[in-house]
Amino acid sequence: MRAPSRLLGSAIGAVLALSLSGCGSSAPEGTGQVKLTLWHNSADPAALLEMYKKFEKQSGHKIELVSIPSDGFEDTTQTKWATGDRPDILEYHATVSGLLALNPAENLRDLTGEAYIARSGDLYQAAGSVDGKVYAAITGFPQVFGLYYNKKVFTAAGLTPPTNFAELAGACPKLKAAGVTPVFESGGSIWPVQILPILYLAGANQANAYGKAIAGHSSTLADAGSPFVAGLTAYAKLKADGCFNKDIVTAKFEDSMKALVTGEAAMVAQHSDMLPALLAAAGGDQKTVDESVGFVGLSSDKPLVTYAPGPIGTFYLPKTGDAAREKASLDFVRFMTGPAYAEYITASKTFPVFKDVPDPQGVPSVLQDVKKAYDTGAVIAFNSDIPGMGGLAQLMSELIAGQKDPQKAATQLQGQVEQAAKAAGLPGW
Amino acid sequence: MRNRAAWLPWALPAIVLVTVFFVAPFLLNVRFAFSSWTSFRSEITWNGLENVRTLIDQDLLANAVTVTVLYAILCMAIQNTVSLSLALALQRTSGINTVFRSAFFLPTLISPLAAGYIWRGLLAPDGAVNSFLGIEWAWLGEPSTALVVVAFIDAWKWSGLITLVYIAGLNSIPKSLLESATVDGAGPWTRFRRVLFPMLAPALTFNVAVTLVGALSAYDVIAATTGGGPGDHTRALNVVMRQQWGQGFFGSASALGFTVTLLVIATAVPLVWWLRRREVTG
Repeated sequence: MRAPSRLLGSAIGAVLALSLSGCGSSAPEGTGQVKLTLWHNSADPAALLEMYKKFEKQSGHKIELVSIPSDGFEDTTQTKWATGDRPDILEYHATVSGLLALNPAENLRDLTGEAYIARSGDLYQAAGSVDGKVYAAITGFPQVFGLYYNKKVFTAAGLTPPTNFAELAGACPKLKAAGVTPVFESGGSIWPVQILPILYLAGANQANAYGKAIAGHSSTLADAGSPFVAGLTAYAKLKADGCFNKDIVTAKFEDSMKALVTGEAAMVAQHSDMLPALLAAAGGDQKTVDESVGFVGLSSDKPLVTYAPGPIGTFYLPKTGDAAREKASLDFVRFMTGPAYAEYITASKTFPVFKDVPDPQGVPSVLQDVKKAYDTGAVIAFNSDIPGMGGLAQLMSELIAGQKDPQKAATQLQGQVEQAAKAAGLPGW
Repeated sequence: MRNRAAWLPWALPAIVLVTVFFVAPFLLNVRFAFSSWTSFRSEITWNGLENVRTLIDQDLLANAVTVTVLYAILCMAIQNTVSLSLALALQRTSGINTVFRSAFFLPTLISPLAAGYIWRGLLAPDGAVNSFLGIEWAWLGEPSTALVVVAFIDAWKWSGLITLVYIAGLNSIPKSLLESATVDGAGPWTRFRRVLFPMLAPALTFNVAVTLVGALSAYDVIAATTGGGPGDHTRALNVVMRQQWGQGFFGSASALGFTVTLLVIATAVPLVWWLRRREVTG
C-alpha cells in the first residue's frame, strides 16, 4: 500500500505544480516584467493593436489579448465579468450606464488625478466617471452617430441628404422611385435598429436634458406624448411607408455597409467607429469610400449628431490584488495617454480627445464629414446615463415584427430601466 | 436486499456523476433564482418571487415558456418521425446503407453554432435555398416559418444520432416474430404497427425523452440562426436568460434557468414514466 500512496502523492504534487505554473499572470523570474490580460473589442483597429505591441516593446511586459466579438460585445463581456474572471485591463464602454453595470466602486481602480483627465476638457463630466470618481481612460474619439449616405445616389436623384425626420420621410418615395432602398436596416445584427430612434431623440436631448429626466425619474419613457414614444412612432411610420430594406429582419450590419457602398441603399444609420467595416465593404479601397460615402447629422428636427464615448480605446483597470500587475496596468494607461498617443492619432487617422494633440493629416473624407457634423452640433446619446436600456434593441425587433406598438414598447422598456435603476441604487428610485 | 447489493456497484459511477455535475450545482445555485443578484451591486439578498414577478410584468416569461414548449414538441416530433423513417430505410447493413448512415450522422459531429450559421446563409432571402426554389422568402425572418424552420435545422443536426438508436432497436427485434406475422398474413403496415413499433418501445422512450429534454434547453441553434427573432417568435427561455444575463440581471437570469429545470422535470419525468409503463404493458 505504501508505494502506491507515495506514487499518488507524487502525482498529485506534479499536477498541482503544473496547474500552479499554468496560472497565467505570474512574472517571468527576476525581470520584474509581467503578463497582462487585456479583454479587447475584436473591432479594435490595426493602429490600436500596434499600440499594444509598442507598449510590450517599451515596457518589456507581455499583453495577452482576449478578443471579445464586437457582435454581442456587451453581453459577452458581462457574461465573462459575472463569472468573477477579471482581466488586468478591460476595454469597454465609457457611458455611465455601461460603467454602472460593472459595479465600479467594488471592482475598478479609481484613476482620478491621473494627468490625462485634465487634458480631456469636460469629457469626464458625462462619461467614464461615477459619483465624482474617474474610472476610465478614454483615448478614442467618441462614437459619432448619424446618417451615412451614398453621394452618387443622392446626386443622381437630385436630392440633398436629410438632416431631420420630415426630410427623411420626404426623400423616401423619391429614392424608391429611383430603384434604391432608402434606408438599410440590419435587424439580423439586432443592435443597429436602435440607432434611428436614438438619433431622433437628439432633438429633445440638448445638454442631456431628456436623459437626465429619465435617469432621475422625473419623466418616464412611456409618458403620454413623450419624445421616446414619438421617436418609435416616427420609426414605425418609416417602416410602414416602405423606407427600409425588405430583409430588415435578417440582414446583418456588414450587409448594410455593402449596400451603402454599392449604392443599392441610399442611407444607413451608424456610428463613426464603423469606418473599418465600411472600408472592408469597399474591398479595402479608401478611394471608393471617399468618392461614394458621406455623413450628416440627423435628429427629429435639426441637423444634430448623437455621440457616445465608445468602447474602442476606452480602458478600465479592474482590481486584481496583484501589486506587480496593477502597477504594470497603470503603466499601460499612462503609455496610452502619454507621448505615444500622438503617434497613435497619426497612425489611426482619427481625432484626438486630448486638447494638446493636433488633428492628424490625411483623414479620410467621410471622417472629415463626421468631424464637421460633430463640430456643428453634437448631443450625447440620451441613453448614455440611463441604466437598463440594454433591452431597447430587442424591443425594436418586436416593433419591427409588428408585435408591439410604440407605447407598449416604451412601457416595457421603462420597466427594465426601473429594474436596473433600483438595483444600482440611483437617487430618485 | 440481494438485488440491491448487486445493482448498486454498477449504478454508483452514474449516481456519483449525476450528483457531482447536476444535483449538487443545482442545489447550490437554485437560491440565486430567488435573489436580488445583479451586476450593479455586490450584495445578494433574498427577494422571494420578485424576479418571476419582474419577468411576468415585462411580458417575457409567458412568451418564452410558450415558445420553448412549442419548439420542444416540434423538435421531438420532427426528429422522431424523420429518424424512424430513416431507420426503417437503412436498417439492413449493406455497403450503400453504411454510406447513407454515415452521411446522415455527419451533422451530429458539427458544432450546433456552425450548423446554425451554415443554415442561416442557405436560408437567407438571397441564399441558395431560395435560388433553387426560385422564390423570395425570409425563412428565418417570417414569424410564420421561423420556429418551424429552426426546429427542422435542429432535426437535421441530430436525426443521425436518433436514427442509429432506432436502427439498434430494429435490429434487436427477433426476425422470427416478423416471419410469423408474415405467415399469419400481415402486410408491411400491419407488421410495423403490430410488431415493429411495440417492440421499439425502449428505443422510442430513449429518443422521445432525449429529443424533448434537449429541445427544452435549446439555445445554440436558435442563437446562431435567429437570435430569438423575428420579434420574440423564437425567443426561448435560454435565449431570454442570456439576454437578462447580458444586461446584468443575474437573479432574473437564474429564475429563467430554474424555470427550464422545472419544465424539464415536469414534462420528462411523467413522460418517461408513461413510456416505460407502455414498454411493459404494450
